[in-house]
Order: sequence, then C-alpha cells, then structure tokens
Amino acid sequence: MAVRAQFENSNEVGVFSCLTNAYAIVAVGGSENFYSVFESELQDVIPICHATIAGTRIVGRLVVGNRKGLLVPTTTTDQELQHLRNTLPDSVKIQRIEERLSALGNVICCNDHVAIVHPDLERETEEIIADVLGVEVFRQTVADNVLTGSYMALSNSGGIVHPKTSIRDQDELSSLLQVPLVAGSVNRGSAVVGAGMVVNDWLAITGLDTTATELSVVESVFRLGEMAPGGAGAAGVNKDSIVESFY
Amino acid sequence: MEDTTRMEELLKRPLYVYDLPQELLASLTAKTTGQPVAEEAAGPSAEELEQAAQDSAIATSNLCPLCNVSYSTVQDQRSHVRSDHHRYNVKSQLRGNAPLGELEFSKAVGELDESISGSESSETEEEDGDGAAETTLSALLKKQAKLSHPDEDSTANVAGVPKSPLLWFSSSGLPSSKSLGIYRAMFSAAEQEDPRHLVDTIRRKQLAPIKGRTNNASKAQDPAASGPHIFMCMIGGGHFAAMLVSLAPEIHRKQGGVEDRQARVIAHKSIHRYTTRRKQGGSQSASDASRGAAHSAGSSLRRYNEAMLEKEIRDTLTEWRDMIDSAELLFVRATGKTNRKILFDNYDGQVLKNKDPRIRGFPINTRRATQGELLRCFKELTRVKVSEVDEAALAAAENKRKEEEAKASTPAPKPQPQKPKLSKEEEAALLHTSQLQALIRRSKVPALMSYISNNSIPPSFVFTPTDSPQNFRCPTPLHLASNLNAPAVVTALLTKADADPGSLSSEGRTPFELAGDRATRDAFRVARHTLGESKWDWETAKVPAAVSKADADSRAEKERQAANEEESSRRQADLDRLKREEAEKSASARTTKSGGRTVGAVEKSIAEKREEETRGMTPEMRTRLERERRARAAEERFKKMQGK
Repeated sequence: MAVRAQFENSNEVGVFSCLTNAYAIVAVGGSENFYSVFESELQDVIPICHATIAGTRIVGRLVVGNRKGLLVPTTTTDQELQHLRNTLPDSVKIQRIEERLSALGNVICCNDHVAIVHPDLERETEEIIADVLGVEVFRQTVADNVLTGSYMALSNSGGIVHPKTSIRDQDELSSLLQVPLVAGSVNRGSAVVGAGMVVNDWLAITGLDTTATELSVVESVFRLGEMAPGGAGAAGVNKDSIVESFY
Repeated sequence: MEDTTRMEELLKRPLYVYDLPQELLASLTAKTTGQPVAEEAAGPSAEELEQAAQDSAIATSNLCPLCNVSYSTVQDQRSHVRSDHHRYNVKSQLRGNAPLGELEFSKAVGELDESISGSESSETEEEDGDGAAETTLSALLKKQAKLSHPDEDSTANVAGVPKSPLLWFSSSGLPSSKSLGIYRAMFSAAEQEDPRHLVDTIRRKQLAPIKGRTNNASKAQDPAASGPHIFMCMIGGGHFAAMLVSLAPEIHRKQGGVEDRQARVIAHKSIHRYTTRRKQGGSQSASDASRGAAHSAGSSLRRYNEAMLEKEIRDTLTEWRDMIDSAELLFVRATGKTNRKILFDNYDGQVLKNKDPRIRGFPINTRRATQGELLRCFKELTRVKVSEVDEAALAAAENKRKEEEAKASTPAPKPQPQKPKLSKEEEAALLHTSQLQALIRRSKVPALMSYISNNSIPPSFVFTPTDSPQNFRCPTPLHLASNLNAPAVVTALLTKADADPGSLSSEGRTPFELAGDRATRDAFRVARHTLGESKWDWETAKVPAAVSKADADSRAEKERQAANEEESSRRQADLDRLKREEAEKSASARTTKSGGRTVGAVEKSIAEKREEETRGMTPEMRTRLERERRARAAEERFKKMQGK
C-alpha cells in the first residue's frame, strides 16, 4: 500500500521519518498528523518511535536501519539513544557510528540484505554497517551521485533510483542488488527519491504532492498492491489520511 | 658480538637524549617496516587480477560499464564491485578522471600515489587514520613505486597510529628486537616533518655536559643560561609550577670520583594559592560564571587568590621573558578556560602566545603541578625509551594464528635465540623463589625485606616454576604470605616492597582472597589506607574499604575484650552449673538415703565418721592424722577468739 503524507507542509517525508520492516522512527512534530498516518498504517504491526537525533527532526536523513539494526550518527545524545533503545524491539541492534559523513541516511541506502554506500565512507564504518545491519556493503554511486541514500529508495522487493540514472547503471545496480529497479521520481518530479519517501516491504509513504502516476510506479516496483490485503481498497485509506492532515 | 653486548650494557643505565653515547649515536637509524610483509601481500593480488582476466575471456553475459570488466554470476559481480580496481574507478570517475581498464589499472598501480579508501585487507590488519587502508594495492605501491615520502609511511607503520607520542629508532649495534624511543614532542614541528633527517637532528642536538657549579662560582658566567634550554610549566587547581631547564646535562663529581649527571635547572618557581572550592570542586570563577557570585567569606578569599595567582604567574613569566623567548621548546599544561586565560589571554606584556609553534603539551600523565613533578616530567621526556619486541616471536605468533585460521595442526616453532638467556634468568629466579618462600614461611620480615632490596627483586616477581602446584595457587610472594596468614609479611610486602595486590593467580584469585584470617585481611585493608586509594586498583584486588591502623587495632582490642568477657561469663555459668548440680546431687543423695535402700540406717555421728576414716590405717598414720586434726581445731579456736 502506498500512502501520501506531509510533515508540517513539507513533502520530504523521508527526511522526517525512517521506516523498516521491524520499526518506524518518526520525528517529533508540532502536530500529530504525520505520526497518525504512520499509526493508522502500522499500529499493532511494528513499533513507531517518536524521536529526535542530535536534537533535530531530520531523523530520516541522520539514521539508517533495517530489520536487524539501526545506525545513528555520533551526534546522537545519550538520552536519545536510550529512548530509541527503550522503544525499539530488543532484536534490533542499535549502534552509534563515529563517521565524518554524519548524515547516515544520505550516504547509506539499504534493505535487509545489501547496502549501497557513499564511496568515501571509512572502512570501520563499512564494517559496522555489515555487522549491525547484517548486509553486504557495496560502494557505488547512483547516477553519478555519491549520496546513495538520498537518490535511492530500496526495499527487499524493489527499488527506485534517481530519474536520470542510465539504463546501464540501473541494470548494473539491479543485478548487484538482486532486486528490480526503476528510475522514477516522487513528489511531483522530485529527483531525491530517497528523501522524498519511505518504504518497507508492505508500505510506502510519499509526499502529499506525489502524482497518481508516480504513486502507481511506486506501488508496482515495490510490489505493494499485491502484498497488501485487499490492495484495491488502498484509495480509501489514502483519503482518510489526506482528510486528517487538512484539519 | 662483543660490540653488541657492550651496547646492551649501555642501555642498562638511563640514556639522555641530548647526551647519547658516541657509538650508539653513530649506529642509530630511524626504523622502517619489514619489506617482506609488503611483498607477501603483493603476491595474491596479482594472481587475483589474472584470475579475473581469465574469467573475462570465458564469460560475456554481464559487464561493469565503468571498468569494462565482464562477469558471469552475481558472486563474480559482487567481488568485482568490492575490488580495488572498481573502487578506484568509482572514485576517479567522481573526480572527472577517465576510468582505467584492468590492464591499465594494474600498470598504473605502480605509479599511483592515491590510496583507495576502504579496500579489503583481511591479511593485513593495519589501519590508517583517514580511512585509506593498508591494502594489497598500497603494498604493491610500496614495492614498485617511488613514493614521495617512503620513510614517513614506514614510521607511521611502526607507530601503528600516525601520531604516536614516541619516535622509534634502531641501532645496528643492538639486536634487532631492541628499539629506542624518543618522545616526538622533543622535536620541533619542522624536524618532525622530515623523518629521514631525524637521526641527523639528534646528532646535531648533542650537547657537551657542563661542569657542576662550585659554590664560589659567579652567577654571571653561568654557561647553562646561554645554552639551549626548555621551559616547562603546569597550572591546575591553584598550583603553579614553572621551570627553565638547561638541556646540557650537568656533571657532579661525587665522592670517589663517580660522575653523576643531573638536570640543570636554570630557574624555577612554584606557587600555590587556595582557589578551588573545597568539596565542591571547580574554580571560584567558574562557579561565579555559572550561578552568580556567592558572598561567602570563602568565595571572596578564593576570588582574591585567583587574582593574585594570575598576577604572580604573569610576573614570573615577565621576569623570565628573555629566557622563555630563547627557549627551544615550551611545555605547557594548562587545562580549563581559567588556566589557559592566565597564560594566553591578551594582557599587557604577554609572554606566551597561543599560536607559538614551540608550545606543546606533556605527552605523558602528569600529577599536581609541583617542582618535583616538573623535574620528573623533564627526566621522562628526555630519557630514551628502550623497548624490546621479539620480532621473531611476533612473526611466529602471526604464523601460528594464520595456521590456526587455516585449520592446520602444525604448531609454530618457538623462537630460538632467547633460549640460553632464559635459562640463566630461570636459575636466578629459582634461587630467589626458594629463598623468598622460606623467608615468608618463617615470617622473617626484616630478612625478607633486605633480601628483596639486596637482590633488587622487582615487585612483579613471580615464583618459578609457574606450573608447580604450590606456585599455581600462590604465584607471587604476596599470594604466599596471604595464604599462610602472615599479616606482618603482607603489610611489609605491600607497603615496603610495592607488591601488587591486584595480581592474579592462575586460578584468578587475588592475594586478598587467599587470606585465611581476619588479621591478614585487616593487613590488606590497613595497607589500602596507608598507601592510598590511587596507588593500586583496590577494587579489582577485591580488598574491601580501607581502615586505619588505629581503627583495626581498636577493633581487635574490642573483640579481645568481648571474647574475654564472654569467656569469663561462660566460666561463671559453668561454675554455677557445677555448684547447682552438686547441690542437687547431695540433695538427691539425702532423699535417696531417707527413703530407700538404707532404711533403718541411723545417721552416723561425727565420731563414727572419724573412726571410719581411720579404719585400715597403721597406728602411726592414725596418730599423725589425729594430731593434725587437733592442730586444725586449735587454729579454728584461735581464729574465733581473735574474731571476737
């Protein structure tokens, strides 16, 4: 199921949230509208954590995680780390990383099996990623951009890359990751697909500006329509959340 | 060979950086890495590349568009993506350089001086600080290429991390396992820059020792004041100590013509003012800044003292201005804002500049700012460290580890060259062991202490052979003393011989845990009190909270009294019981007499009893008994008469 949402008038939901198969992290906002979109979709399925990282709300860009673990930057305070530890399931390993490139969400893009990372990441970081997230780590670029986390949205069943990625690069990445990839945009033509949406194996949340075409591409490449129970009924849910965010 | 032994002899006494022995100086070289490691690592990578080339000939199904390398399976692709070649191309593409083909790359590897970040290096465990890994690639680099600073690289490798506090040197006159370390901080920034000239720098810096000043020598012609010198100062917690020390050692002639070198202190000053808030910690100014000025007597006292300390320190520095300006190095320890402000704040006639390239911190742990501490730091900084690393043993250990990884069963060969030396040491150790154990067993404290000091047995001495059952339980003298419940020996070992209470036996027990009685345990606690908390890590030594000697004694005394009291009360109770029992017995005897077997028997009169007693005696004895009895009766009578 793909859902549209907005965080305080911003379409970049990937900036303010982080969604995995085992948990979701949502920034603390002025209102609970954004949070309630997650809640309506994920309640009783996975824990949703209200959090800040280093006192900021751009949690989606600072942390990176999957079903097995969560990596937070070195700027994360002890209280925040403790809060995450208390909220997330015990099976999720949480680790703070000393890395110069501290916006981990921008430089790392991962699902439960592989991670595509910025070519300049330190080797210690690469090892920690492999250990904590339990993934194979590859240093690659997406359409010549080093910010793999920003320009790529990835789940276990598919992925969207920067709209200007060449077919050759797509094929290479797709064969490397062993998931179908498609070049696409979100939020009415935005190229930062990683920051513009969050996705896991059964739910994608995009910005409110996302067009129907973009949403249908998202649903098809992440195979959300067929996985969701009664995929056709997705429109009703979308409507609910839209209405909520107007109040 | 004899040269080597003479050189080793030299190392036995402390070496002073600025006055090294001539022969050592001549043979000194900066340490470089072992070439074989690099070559070994280079081998497989070439093979790998060849393998990849072969693969490319067979498979054509898929292609890395960047590197123009083809592969057939996902595994091949993934390993290619992780290869140095691909990573290099990713990075060069980002910089706008043309990607290199496989052959070009392997050729270019020789000329490359760009390091590729994050390449795999499972065989070399080394790591560089900035993420550039020590790889097969950089190994190749080292082997083939003309690097701009090969020596710099190798020093960095020796140190492990790029900025190790010590720079290491080796000498051809010494065994390869011995290396000499000199603190990096003793070299200026420019000298550190070029590691190839380090040895030259050291040679250039050697100073002739100066003669000790006699009492009547005039101060004006002091040669030390004009020579090279360094400035050291420490500020902290209201303590200030500063010192100008000449680098040229001073030679004193002791009695018997023995030459003794000493540090020559040109000027020194130490100041202490009460500025820190007792029990709260922190300086008064910091407290004022955070929660507003307090108006207590103590706070104004401290505020005044802080101002005075600042003034005095600045006055001292101004007084020494010429000497400080001409000093080679400035060692400064001033942590915290207030402390730094005193030295480096902008004030009229500022002496120390924050940006001065000569300024450096102490690369060692320092204690309270005192004269003695500064002198200790100077000695530590200017002393040549001798480190013994048995490279053969290290290599053997490395081999062993590798073999274990490869599941091979052949054990690594032991390093040979150490053997004869070890056996000699072992003999001495065996002798010491038997002597020490005998002394401890007999609790001969003075003899034990003199034995330890005479033979200069280190506090870390361990009984040999370590595998004998007794030494297994008690590996150190302290363990043994504790196990034998000898509190006097324990106290002596801890306080006088500096024995470590935290050392573990093979069973993982600390000495304290072996103590069998209270006195011995108290000896440990009293030692904790007398030595202070910081001397050892008492927690890991499992020694409970400290008690003073007086406390322990008074407690023991109290316990003794309590025990005495208990004993006396018990005795009293027993006596009472006996009395009671006797009374009961006699009573019961009376009752049995009155009703039972002796029915009809008349109570015997005293005369009858007497007769009974004397029955069966010889007449002489009977008369004697009779006489005594009369005498006693007479005495009784006299007593009665006197009493009345």
